[in-house]
Amino acid sequence: MSAIRLQGVTKAYDGHVAVKDLELDIPLGGVFGLLGPNGAGKTTTLRMVMDIIAPDSGRIEILGRAADGAARDAIGYMPEERGLYPKMTLDEQLLFLAEIKGVSRRDALARLAPWLERMGLAEWAKRKTNELSKGMQQKAQFIAAVLHEPQVLILDEPMSGLDPLGADLMRETLLDLSRQGKTLIVSSHQMETVERICDRVALIERGEKVLDGALSDIKAGHGGKTVALAYEGDGTFLSQLPGVRSVRDFGRYVELSLAPDTMPHGLLPLIIDRVNLTRFEVVEPTLHAIFVDTVAARRASAQGGRV
Amino acid sequence: MRRIWTVARREYLERVRSKAFIIGTVLAPVIMAAFMVVPMLMMQHQHGKALRISVVDATGHLRGAVEKALEGQKDGERSRFEIVPAPGGPLDSVLDRLRDRVVAEDLDGVVVLPADALEASRAEYQARNVAGFVDVLAIRSAVEGVVVKQRLASAGFDADRVSNLTRGLDLATIRLTASGAREDHGATVILAVILMMLIYTSVLMWGTVVMNGVIEEKTSRVVELVASSVSPARLLAGKLLGIGGAGLTQFLVWMACLLAIGAYGSAAMGMAGVSLPEVGFEVGASFVVFFLLGFFLYALLFAAIGSAVNSTQEAQPLTILVMTPLIASMIFMMAVIQRPDSGLSVTLSLIPFFTPLIMFLRIVTLTPPLWQVLLSVILTLATILALTWVTGRIYRVGILMYGKKPTFPELLRWTRQS
Repeated sequence: MSAIRLQGVTKAYDGHVAVKDLELDIPLGGVFGLLGPNGAGKTTTLRMVMDIIAPDSGRIEILGRAADGAARDAIGYMPEERGLYPKMTLDEQLLFLAEIKGVSRRDALARLAPWLERMGLAEWAKRKTNELSKGMQQKAQFIAAVLHEPQVLILDEPMSGLDPLGADLMRETLLDLSRQGKTLIVSSHQMETVERICDRVALIERGEKVLDGALSDIKAGHGGKTVALAYEGDGTFLSQLPGVRSVRDFGRYVELSLAPDTMPHGLLPLIIDRVNLTRFEVVEPTLHAIFVDTVAARRASAQGGRV
Repeated sequence: MRRIWTVARREYLERVRSKAFIIGTVLAPVIMAAFMVVPMLMMQHQHGKALRISVVDATGHLRGAVEKALEGQKDGERSRFEIVPAPGGPLDSVLDRLRDRVVAEDLDGVVVLPADALEASRAEYQARNVAGFVDVLAIRSAVEGVVVKQRLASAGFDADRVSNLTRGLDLATIRLTASGAREDHGATVILAVILMMLIYTSVLMWGTVVMNGVIEEKTSRVVELVASSVSPARLLAGKLLGIGGAGLTQFLVWMACLLAIGAYGSAAMGMAGVSLPEVGFEVGASFVVFFLLGFFLYALLFAAIGSAVNSTQEAQPLTILVMTPLIASMIFMMAVIQRPDSGLSVTLSLIPFFTPLIMFLRIVTLTPPLWQVLLSVILTLATILALTWVTGRIYRVGILMYGKKPTFPELLRWTRQS
């Protein structure tokens, strides 16, 4: 059974197609990463799953049932647009948000204290939203998503706005929920985050799915090696080398993505004479690299197709 | 259904616990009471001291009668005036000395009867304070009585007989209703105006609260989270019920205060010979019914505005548009009170956006045919239903729209989107 399944889902606004014929099958269990550049249609997709906007066509299933109000109660949602009632106290607000998910006030009350404790918000329970820091509001928003103990969690950019301590706490909590058998769907363009916690990913670009599968398969199937280089001297020629698909400069080192049939050691002689090389290492392609390469390749072919 | 109540409870508690609500609910009746009760109390208890006045008579034969007439003027149980006998001597110098005493606050005033007082029918009252119109009227009526009596006597008439024969007519106005006849001293009009103002204020105020609530949910971005749990239609329904409940709470408190003040006022004014109309059951019931109809009708419009705009400032011009029928109702108020059964009044009272104020006004001033009342209620309910559909659509699209303010054609398009 799938946690969430989209079949041929399309949504257009005023002639602009936000999501086009999207097929997505998110299995039960595990952490699923929904990736894509800004404006790719991630948020629109999630909003359609939550019935905040209606798709123009297509079918959405939640836990094997057609998506309806009751099915949606099994989902916890942390939207991209964070927001809490400004004049309500934290505890009242979280109880209310659980109640409108169908949880009785008494159950919500029993679950609230442990969660506040866990997220370090226990002393802030009686404070109003506008007295909380941004990070605290973010944690409160997370509690709002989990308090009704949903089977599936949809988190839009869960790490944004958190300091390193908060990010660690969030990551540990997410993994803990995943180990309890919950299905986590994380939408993000922070590739490092996704790479660390997700076991499956889908990449959306301009409303269409361009990649989908287990992270390990995607990395293996990306083809082409990635080389990490560190050097002194002028490296502007690197992008012109045969077989180099893209170059990403990280300041202290540079990452080259190679075309599938290019062997890293074949490049070494072409580089070694021109700069003072201090590192030459074949590395696994990062999700970041895959993301950039895939989006760039797709945009290039779209351009070519138009010409 | 349970979630509608959860939303309604949140909305209700948030309003009722706010400082603005507590102040408005408690303070408004206090101010109402201050305006109505304090003047009554002052009138009752300000029987102050009697005014010390002297009479200077140039005719030479009216003084005794005038002094006697002045002494006969009562203020409650007491005499209104205390006569200070004027000293003898030449009139001019006597008057000068009396004026000095008035200025020195030894005396309150001087009534001066000129030599031609009878023929020209005139007199003067010289005092530091000539603004106490009750006192001035009392002096006038006392002196006038003496002067008229003198003239009648010198023309050979019996003054008492004449005044008995020419006494004024007492026209009583009796209001006939299905439940019986009642004497009415014009207070119905005052009551109608006060109650109508109360509906007007409450509908406008709570409509605005709904609008600001929608805008706040939008600007705080919490609406996306809420809309992912409750459908927009239920969210809107819960919001209207909760805020409407808070409005009704305040409205009932005000009404109870008004009745209490009215009861106290009747008791106080009963002594003054004025009776306040009792608020009958049909008036009380229609007060609540038409407030609720008005609230839901206008709150739906305000909610639609709130979901279409990004800030209260942006809402302003649209708000004024929505308020127009309410303001127009206030303008037509006097015309409707004068002729509650005219074609204009009947027509207006049947137009849903005017019904809450105009039909209510007609019910207070006269009892309209039952079919008209029922028809107006049905038409208003139908409009509320239709508006629920339209607003629900605009709300669903609007709560997630940020940025540009939509144009009217865009709003229409939203209603067609599913």
